[in-house]
Amino acid sequence: MSLLTQRAARDGAPANSLTSGQLPRFAEVSIIGGSAVASGLVLMLLGFNFVGWLVLTAIVYLVVLGVLSSIVENRRKATDRLVRGIVSVAFILAIVPLVSTLYTVVSRGISSLSWQFITQSGGSSFNADTLEVTNTPGALQAIVGTLIITGIAALISIPIGLFTSIYLVEYSLPGSWLARTVTMLVDVMTGIPSIVAGLFAFSLFSIIMGPKAFSGFSAAVALSVLMIPTVVRSCEEMLRLVPGDLREASLALGVSKFSTIARIVLPTAIAGIVTGIMLSIARVIGETAPIFMAASFTDNFNANPFDGPMQTLPVMAYTGFAFPGTDIDASHNAAWGAALLLVLLVVILNLIARIVARVFAPKGSR
Amino acid sequence: MKFKNVAATTGLVVAAAIALAGCSSTATPAASSTPTTAAVDYSALSGTITAGGSSAQANAQAAWSTAFTAQAKNVVVNYDKSQGSGGGVTNWTAGSYDFAGSDSPLKAEQQTAAATLCGPTGAINLPIYLDGVAIIFNLPGVTNLNLTADTLAKIFSLKITTWNDPAIVAENPTATLPTTAITTVTRSDGSGTTATFTNYLSQTAPSVWTSAPGSAWPIAGTSAQKGTAGIVSAVTAGVGTIGYADHSAIAKLSSASIETAKGTYSPFSVDGTSAAFAAAASKATSTVAGDLAQKVDFTKITGADMYAIPLVSYGILCTTFKTPAQATLAKGYLGFIASATGQSVAAKNAGSAQIPASLLAEIQTSLALVK
Amino acid sequence: MSDDMTSATPSPRTTSRDSLKNSGSAPQGGGAGNGGASLRGSRVRPGDLIFHSLSTGSAIFIMVILAGVALFLIIQGIPAIVADWSTDPSLHEGFTLAYNNFWQYVGPLLYGTLFSSAIALVIGAPIGIGIALFISHYAPRRVAGFLGYIVDLLAAVPSVVFGLWGIIVIRPFLLPFSEWLNTNLGWIPLFGGQVSTTGSTILAGSVVLSVMILPIITSISREIFLQTPRLHEEAALALGATRWEMIRLAVFPYAKSGIVSATLLGLGRALGETMAIAMIISPAILVSIRLITEGENSQTIAANIALNFPIASTLQRQALIGTGLMLFVISLAVNIIARYIVTRGSAGGGGKKRKRPTLPITPMSDTSATTTLDIVTEEQKLGRIAVNSRAEGASV
Repeated sequence: MSLLTQRAARDGAPANSLTSGQLPRFAEVSIIGGSAVASGLVLMLLGFNFVGWLVLTAIVYLVVLGVLSSIVENRRKATDRLVRGIVSVAFILAIVPLVSTLYTVVSRGISSLSWQFITQSGGSSFNADTLEVTNTPGALQAIVGTLIITGIAALISIPIGLFTSIYLVEYSLPGSWLARTVTMLVDVMTGIPSIVAGLFAFSLFSIIMGPKAFSGFSAAVALSVLMIPTVVRSCEEMLRLVPGDLREASLALGVSKFSTIARIVLPTAIAGIVTGIMLSIARVIGETAPIFMAASFTDNFNANPFDGPMQTLPVMAYTGFAFPGTDIDASHNAAWGAALLLVLLVVILNLIARIVARVFAPKGSR
Repeated sequence: MKFKNVAATTGLVVAAAIALAGCSSTATPAASSTPTTAAVDYSALSGTITAGGSSAQANAQAAWSTAFTAQAKNVVVNYDKSQGSGGGVTNWTAGSYDFAGSDSPLKAEQQTAAATLCGPTGAINLPIYLDGVAIIFNLPGVTNLNLTADTLAKIFSLKITTWNDPAIVAENPTATLPTTAITTVTRSDGSGTTATFTNYLSQTAPSVWTSAPGSAWPIAGTSAQKGTAGIVSAVTAGVGTIGYADHSAIAKLSSASIETAKGTYSPFSVDGTSAAFAAAASKATSTVAGDLAQKVDFTKITGADMYAIPLVSYGILCTTFKTPAQATLAKGYLGFIASATGQSVAAKNAGSAQIPASLLAEIQTSLALVK
Repeated sequence: MSDDMTSATPSPRTTSRDSLKNSGSAPQGGGAGNGGASLRGSRVRPGDLIFHSLSTGSAIFIMVILAGVALFLIIQGIPAIVADWSTDPSLHEGFTLAYNNFWQYVGPLLYGTLFSSAIALVIGAPIGIGIALFISHYAPRRVAGFLGYIVDLLAAVPSVVFGLWGIIVIRPFLLPFSEWLNTNLGWIPLFGGQVSTTGSTILAGSVVLSVMILPIITSISREIFLQTPRLHEEAALALGATRWEMIRLAVFPYAKSGIVSATLLGLGRALGETMAIAMIISPAILVSIRLITEGENSQTIAANIALNFPIASTLQRQALIGTGLMLFVISLAVNIIARYIVTRGSAGGGGKKRKRPTLPITPMSDTSATTTLDIVTEEQKLGRIAVNSRAEGASV
């Protein structure tokens, strides 16, 4: 502190004024407005293009802001403003594709979403007189399949993943070969292509159950292979962020290691862990290829994960596009409906997870 | 005891189906005008049929399984269309499927591999589905395009690169062809459609098309898209694009007419495809009793009323099943598919062409061998 | 400059390891109950024992699973890897016809996989970290929660839908852009070649990939940024650091290893992504750096497996599984390299910290002391002090 003041005195900086050499508050807003209008005018001459306009506005804004700030203020503040500008602009530019994806899914899926679509398993009826097959759209079998398969995968992966990360962070001694090997293996597992995971699971179950091994359970095993590394990696990071002081304080009070982990470490990290687990569920809930490999494909309702092919929402979406029926629009609508349902399902799971996290999180944490 | 009952019923079923097929061959079936009622009783069947393979058959299989299970209420049919012909045969050989759907019959080595599953009696290929390969294009202002096999081969081997190439202009004197570059759209995944199309090109334009026919597209530099749906969307999205796809899946895109008889360009039609298949297909030599693998000679398609590129797809199954109950189920289902009713259901709901009645009768005879 | 900072702000890894050294041994030693070392007559607590064995068991189980997968890949892949492709009848046909051996086939595929993932990472990682930073440190609290939620949601969009979105939105969107690049910057090899008319280019594929990996990178980085000790941040601000300086001094050093982890997870997803790539890109098996052509997009391993698996004969299937094995090896190599970079990077800074014994001082005094020193160094280098910034720092 003393160094600071000494320096301030020597440079003779205007220590008494808080506002001199500062851009006025309205400066940023007016620069945005100005650059928007300017780039709009420039593009009018060249041919207007909405995205081009956004990009040009962003560039002009950043340049003007940086130059102005470094003239009026100083280099440090200019850098600060510039970085803030860059981060904000990057955010807005990045949010465009994100929102566009969600918008595409919602706007196309909403039309086929109805109570009937959710509560009925899709089917078809046959009119023996006209020989016509009429399809009734429905996604119940896919919703049930998705919930069962992802649920089993989560039941397998979350305990294994969480305990492994606890082992890595809390129990393993630094540099132990097991910890190092497991960390490395988990990294390698993130790179398993999903289709290979499906093949692996199906081959495994073919050995156990014979050639007709298509089942929801084998698909769940395939998904677990994909899910475990994500769980381990995200949980590990979150556990490492729990300050060592907390552990030390707890242990110093004579609390057992087990209780320290269960009562102190996990609750402190719970928000991050839940986010990580939700991410890992989200990562696998939309998988298509391993489900084809391990659970085959069906249009029929099947809620038994141990016997026979099962339908899931992503598979329904995929087949709706890749192999549309003769009424292509109807297939596409059902596919978008399935995609939207999948997103909604994750929203619901996410909400539940957040509530759980809030209940268990220690008071006063962010 | 229960099994005996089922077997007896199936015997009846098959007999009835043959009779039905015989009838229809004389009466020339017109699917739309004479609704054929389900004459055979499948209601005694029960169980699950697991099958998969050719995606060309997908829509027909969906219609067939609905129509079949409407009568055989205790049967569940799962046809996995995501596997493709090769995947279907591989899974079937591994014993995962009761029958495979495939756009090409078993090759010699596949037949050998199947012996482990089927035993010494081997496996039979039954032609159950007929459609045409359509040449789709997207060229503003042009809705009708006439092409000869030679020109087609030149376009798809990238020897013709613009739409106003003299060869195309000569075949389309009335159309206004732009200078646009041709973007050739092909399949990036392996496909029976590709196999049929390359086979057609190598037979009808051997001087231009020198690549070996096969299910993987052989020529680099094209726009390669995944699946029929990928081709359709890329052809729709691009300008000056041309591609090939199963006719039943091309939606509203224009498709080209192809020269069959000298100077006559015929567009796709269901009847034309059936006629072409009848003219070009002959039974391939096979050591397996009841095998109906077909050899299609595209050079024999010379009638003005024929469509040039028929695509036939098979159901492949063992003559001897490991479990007789599954044999009964598979026989029942394939018997229905190969009945006149089954073919009409596919024609009506999947837009496919019909297998000639004489061949349907042969299929029923072959199915009778399955146990 | 940054080395000083790293050294002063404790990296999370070091902290926990230190605490492990101190704490981990204590209860276990006590728990073992050798001699009368325990003060309160503690014995082996069953909870501890069970928990410890569960954790270790899970870690070992993961090794078993992975060994299973690796074994499966190796057993299935080896026959095709060692086969002579130019003479073997079932490999000398179809999609493997043009290759004389496995390596000739897998080489371009490896290149394509790395190339497309690299582009995706170059686009996606900075943006992902930027979004995370925006949500954690720039956006108003209420907005931030909502934005974080939106990003999390995107992780749930199935890759098939990203593929479709790529086909109906990104392909046509990039089309005029790539035409412009081709006409004006075509002399750069990246943008050369015959420009695509359908838009199914590796550029479109990589852009979609980068959007797909955004949620993973963003969510994890955001959580880690939020975990930065409040005291470090406030200390930095109180000493007159601008917000950016605060982030550079307090947040980044703390979050470095987490950011790398997040990026690696994103890379893992990009490397193994199958459906979206298969649907968007018009692939060819060749080595090309052209971004916007129709016929010169290098194929990736995962997409190649998905595309050719259905028509593959048994040996060809094994060849494809062999390429999967190579992908496995690649992600192993990428991860090892990244780990090496991280440990080497933090070793310079973290080493000093580690040598220092854990001081029995409260965290508050510890952190504020170190941060003060850093800020001063920074100020000295800049050669001036802006007192104004203090006002700004306080106002935000």
